[in-house]
Amino acid sequence: MKKRIIAALMAGVLMISLTGCQKSTPKPGSIAGYDKGEQYLSIWVHSIEDTDEGRCYREAVNAFNKAYDGKYFADIEFIPRNDSGGGYSDKINASVMSGDLPDVLTVDGPNIAAYAENGIIQPLAKMTEKEKSVYLKSIIEQGTYNNKLYALGAMESSVGLYYNKEILDEAGIQVPDADHPWTQSQFLEVLKKLKPIMDKKNGYALDMTFPVGEATIYYYAPFFWSNGGDLTDKTGLTVDGIFNSKQNIKTVSYFKTLLKQKYMSKVPIDSLFESGRAAFKIDGAWEVNTLYTSYPDVSFGVAPYVVGDEWNGEQYAPTGSWAFAASSKTKHIKGATELVKWMSGVESGKRLWEKSKSFPSTYEAYESIDVFKKDKNYKELYYQLSKYGHPRPKTPAYPQVSTSFQQVLENSVLSGYDAKEQLDKSVERIDAKLKRYKTK
Amino acid sequence: MGMAFFGPALILLTLFLFLPMILTLIFSFTDFLALNPGLTHFVGLDNYFQILKDDDFRQAFGNTLKFVIIIVPLQSIGALVLALLINKVAYCKTYFKVAFFIPVVMSLAVVSTLWVQIYSPEGILNSILAHVGIHAQPFINSASQALPSIAIMSAWQGMGYQMLIFLGGLQQINPALYEAAEMDHASNWQKFKDITLPELKPLCIFVFITVTIGAFRMLVQPMVMTGGGPSHSTYTMVYDIYETGTVNWEIGLASTMAIVFAFFVMVLTVIQTIVTKDKEGTKHVNKKAKAF
Repeated sequence: MKKRIIAALMAGVLMISLTGCQKSTPKPGSIAGYDKGEQYLSIWVHSIEDTDEGRCYREAVNAFNKAYDGKYFADIEFIPRNDSGGGYSDKINASVMSGDLPDVLTVDGPNIAAYAENGIIQPLAKMTEKEKSVYLKSIIEQGTYNNKLYALGAMESSVGLYYNKEILDEAGIQVPDADHPWTQSQFLEVLKKLKPIMDKKNGYALDMTFPVGEATIYYYAPFFWSNGGDLTDKTGLTVDGIFNSKQNIKTVSYFKTLLKQKYMSKVPIDSLFESGRAAFKIDGAWEVNTLYTSYPDVSFGVAPYVVGDEWNGEQYAPTGSWAFAASSKTKHIKGATELVKWMSGVESGKRLWEKSKSFPSTYEAYESIDVFKKDKNYKELYYQLSKYGHPRPKTPAYPQVSTSFQQVLENSVLSGYDAKEQLDKSVERIDAKLKRYKTK
Repeated sequence: MGMAFFGPALILLTLFLFLPMILTLIFSFTDFLALNPGLTHFVGLDNYFQILKDDDFRQAFGNTLKFVIIIVPLQSIGALVLALLINKVAYCKTYFKVAFFIPVVMSLAVVSTLWVQIYSPEGILNSILAHVGIHAQPFINSASQALPSIAIMSAWQGMGYQMLIFLGGLQQINPALYEAAEMDHASNWQKFKDITLPELKPLCIFVFITVTIGAFRMLVQPMVMTGGGPSHSTYTMVYDIYETGTVNWEIGLASTMAIVFAFFVMVLTVIQTIVTKDKEGTKHVNKKAKAF
């Protein structure tokens, strides 16, 4: 009796675990719209369906199924994530282990290298130069690893150096045009001029912080790139002598100067710029929409991102966002590539802009959206993005590079540790994570 | 028949507790990377040596210890004081009980978000300090103040629970003991020291151990409030395990940290139980009270 009960229970558990983990491909007719003769393609996105972004993806998939009726059928699944990408990436990790990856999935730009290096995603089917030329240069660069195109983004992003027009007028400061940005030394002079004015307003010339998370490397890596430095080498596997280079020490000292001269606050103060107590703010492109809708009284503009003193027109501005890629498990790379192209295409980008104000990833989308021609601020950001966009480091140890970058700035600028020592320590940390890729 | 009742629990426990525990132990000897499980090798004790050398892990370890040292006395004594006060109050007893217990009911993530505002450079707390003539403090934005600030908040949040335990204990004490003490003209302090404390001793041990273990698990507060910063000053062991396992994908290394962490907490709990045990294993008898 006892044994039989146990056996029955065990069998039950086994059944549950088998049916729960192994997701078989649905049969035609089992899902509305999936007809006989169509190629089934599953797709995962990092968003909740009941959000603006989620609805855009749903609409895009519906449109895909309509356009490719009789050929492909895409089945979308929404997987929520938190700020740092957890939840979604946990699901991916678990599926890598159980072998249940979908045909197409979304990847955050900086993670493309790690996913490609570890064989989670595979290169897309061959695309013609014409097909590629639809996308912004930065999108193609972000999706390329080891000279192969792995991913295409539906949206792009950038960071702006926002300025308060009234304060700059008061100080008599002229903002340069996009091709002649302030150099770091010139910017110091500007801040020096602004300091007495901002002191009177009980504020700071610059509203900037080094928050924990992805924002710090995203906002401030351009200061390093345009100053002759880099974070990893071209292969993404070497950091010694690059991450801790002389140029980078110089750039860290530049940030130290900003704090020492009291051009920025040591502790983050809420809405310093929005309340008119800061002359400049460095923040993502979404800030434009926030200012328009929540702070209509603030009269602001977008200045070109500050460059290094020796800058010579190289690409340096922040870019990068989530992208679509084909998983290594898909047997239908052609269909998956079609789906990736569709999801990241012009219509998809336009829809995302309309609903969630994310920047599109194709030239045509920008051309067709009025705001990018008429609104001066959006125009500036688009120009900076399309001409000077620089992808974040492409290395399989990206998470460690990002955390280390933030720690270096926080430790040396805010807590006063030695810059070289901090950079060296980071190199050690990143190298430890890169070891497994080097021995291959 | 017993198996029919016990069976389901056993299977679930095996699936979700014992199996993961064993797997964690096995993973701790491998270089398991979540992105590439196929390339896993056994690396022996390498991971253990690696975390011993790891500055971040050592700092996280130190921070956790520091946090425990601050919060355990703060929360235990605070809870006792609150219980004593409520026990004395004649009016609105229930109101106070509920008021002090509300933070326990609230989610730690919500409480942390609220306190970010309270601790912010131009927040409520700094406004109050300004009125008293104290300069604005950076609180969670400074490497030296962040951990104590979080400890104070956590103690405030958790105190209500231990307060209720103490309150229950206080009401169990025989009033005759206090009456006898009053006849002997014992002072309030003497009454507390010789009657209340010894009577509450078993509860004290329980509170002490649960608060300690709870404090070791601290993760939500720094995650929400500081992200482990500034300069890693609020980076705890559990946070390091989380970051290593889910952000850097290194399940093998994270498993090693988890094993070391679990082992340490176990050893500490054993030491605590031995130290706080009644001497000679005698039954709990209040000798002084008996003498009255």
